[in-house]
Amino acid sequence: MKLLTHNILTSHVKGVTKGYPLLIKATEVRVNEVEFNPQFVSRMIPKLEWSALVQAAEGLLQLGHLQDLPSSLIQDYENNEEFLRKVHRVLLEVEVIEGCLQCPESGREFPISRGVPNMLLNEDDS
Amino acid sequence: MGEEYDCIRYYCTAGSGMEPFLVEEVKSKLSATDVDHISGRVFFSTCAPLEHVTKLKSAERLFLLIRRDPPISLPKFAARTISKIQRSIIGDLNSWIHTLSIWSRLVEELKPVSGRGQKRKREEEDETRVNDKSLRNEETLLGQTSPTFRVNCRCSGAVMCSFTSQDFSRIIGTAIRRQLGWKVDLREPDLEVNVSINDDHCILGIPLLKCSLASRSYIKHSGLRSTVAWTMASLCSIQEGCVILDPMCGVGTVLLEAAQECSSTLFIGMDCSAAQLLKAAENVETAGLGGRVELLQSSAMEIPLPSNSVDGVICDVPFGRKFSCGTNVTVALPKLIREMERVLSVNGSLVLLLSLQLSALLKKLLSPDRCLLATDPLTNKNTSNIDSSDTHTNTCRPDTDTHSNKHSSEGDIQLSPCTLQLQSIYRVSLGNTDGLIHKYLKTMYGHTATKAHTHKDIDIQK
Repeated sequence: MKLLTHNILTSHVKGVTKGYPLLIKATEVRVNEVEFNPQFVSRMIPKLEWSALVQAAEGLLQLGHLQDLPSSLIQDYENNEEFLRKVHRVLLEVEVIEGCLQCPESGREFPISRGVPNMLLNEDDS
Repeated sequence: MGEEYDCIRYYCTAGSGMEPFLVEEVKSKLSATDVDHISGRVFFSTCAPLEHVTKLKSAERLFLLIRRDPPISLPKFAARTISKIQRSIIGDLNSWIHTLSIWSRLVEELKPVSGRGQKRKREEEDETRVNDKSLRNEETLLGQTSPTFRVNCRCSGAVMCSFTSQDFSRIIGTAIRRQLGWKVDLREPDLEVNVSINDDHCILGIPLLKCSLASRSYIKHSGLRSTVAWTMASLCSIQEGCVILDPMCGVGTVLLEAAQECSSTLFIGMDCSAAQLLKAAENVETAGLGGRVELLQSSAMEIPLPSNSVDGVICDVPFGRKFSCGTNVTVALPKLIREMERVLSVNGSLVLLLSLQLSALLKKLLSPDRCLLATDPLTNKNTSNIDSSDTHTNTCRPDTDTHSNKHSSEGDIQLSPCTLQLQSIYRVSLGNTDGLIHKYLKTMYGHTATKAHTHKDIDIQK
């Protein structure tokens, strides 16, 4: 799971009103090189919940995988290649391979295995 | 490359119902001229390099056209029939000689060229296999002036009363051998002369590739027919910087076809089945699309994404009575559609592939005079009451425009009937059965899920 995907994932456990952002509990994180496409990154940035991305990146920072991101989105990022590369790395190159995602409200955990989050709910969750 | 190419007349076979898409594709990708189609075949002329022609996505097999004639009328006296067939089929010898020279040149072009880039590596491997023979062709053509050939003839209609397809193959083969001096080789010929005769036409061509263009070198596990998957993606009007969801992606065929065409788009594939997702993951990796295709295990009935969060939804709705979420798909359809509609943003496209039965059901569900899915227990208010819910506004969507606030309501999920506007329906062949592609456009905010996080910058294109 990439942080780009994490940024739009939300918990849909029944009764939960604030299922976002999901807390990442990673046990294995990998960095895969992905071809840098500045256009793609700058088109995705407006769709992001920036604070959730920063939070996710900081969580993984402790595991030594990420550079820091500014706490608020910078101006004129479209033309700032250094910034776009940083965001590219955070969004697309970091992969959570094993671990889980936790719903911030209900505490329900969704396992991540082989890079694929399992968001299926049990009968009693949904 | 950079060479000048002469305009060459080709034709491609296409699955039933795919002809209009192929017509559009050759026009837009190859700037083709003289585009014309009959059932199952599209004719076109283009100067585009062959490597572009072989990348057509909605076509089946690619042929070099020798000639396209009106149907053969058989004479009354059987004694003359054979010579009449031979005369009318072979016709002008120059057209054969001309086509043969183009064919030899194209076969050269199909040979792998070193340094074409890594992306094409797999394709080249495949082509190498195809072209082992072409290498021999060249030797043959240089050494002798005539190729070896065989005739593959398919007949239907009135001519079948007199002769079978095999008879025709033999008659035509003999004529080619005598008049052009080509040598028959039924087992491993340099080229095949493909003949199609029916009541409407008589078409002669030479296939350029051994395999169908529909067998993609980049797909390891195949699911839905690749041509149909590509067509669904092309109907979704995907733009740069979009997020596209396939909530029942299976092995990911639709995502792969779509991602090949759009380099700046995020594709999310979802499926309940871990086994399917494993194959999908392998497919994504094989195709080298890991940067843009993400997979999630989730039910399509409970999509873990906020409302109005994706720009397009493409879904091959399972045809079987049962699907992996354990519910009969006809029963689940209202909920499935509602969930897809929820995550789709305004002006986003929904493209569905449905069985005939599901298509009829959906048309009924979405007919304008009936409230969509109003029988669903979660829809606790009649949709005509939407405006009365104005009091509960924007607790969690401060940034969306007034347009959406007007329609927001505090119910868990509220659905209005007309947000999905039917754009078009296409019937396409899936091999043993037909499917219907429905395309909808989401036209306005129908409901707001108050529980979900929503993005602060939902792209509202007006």
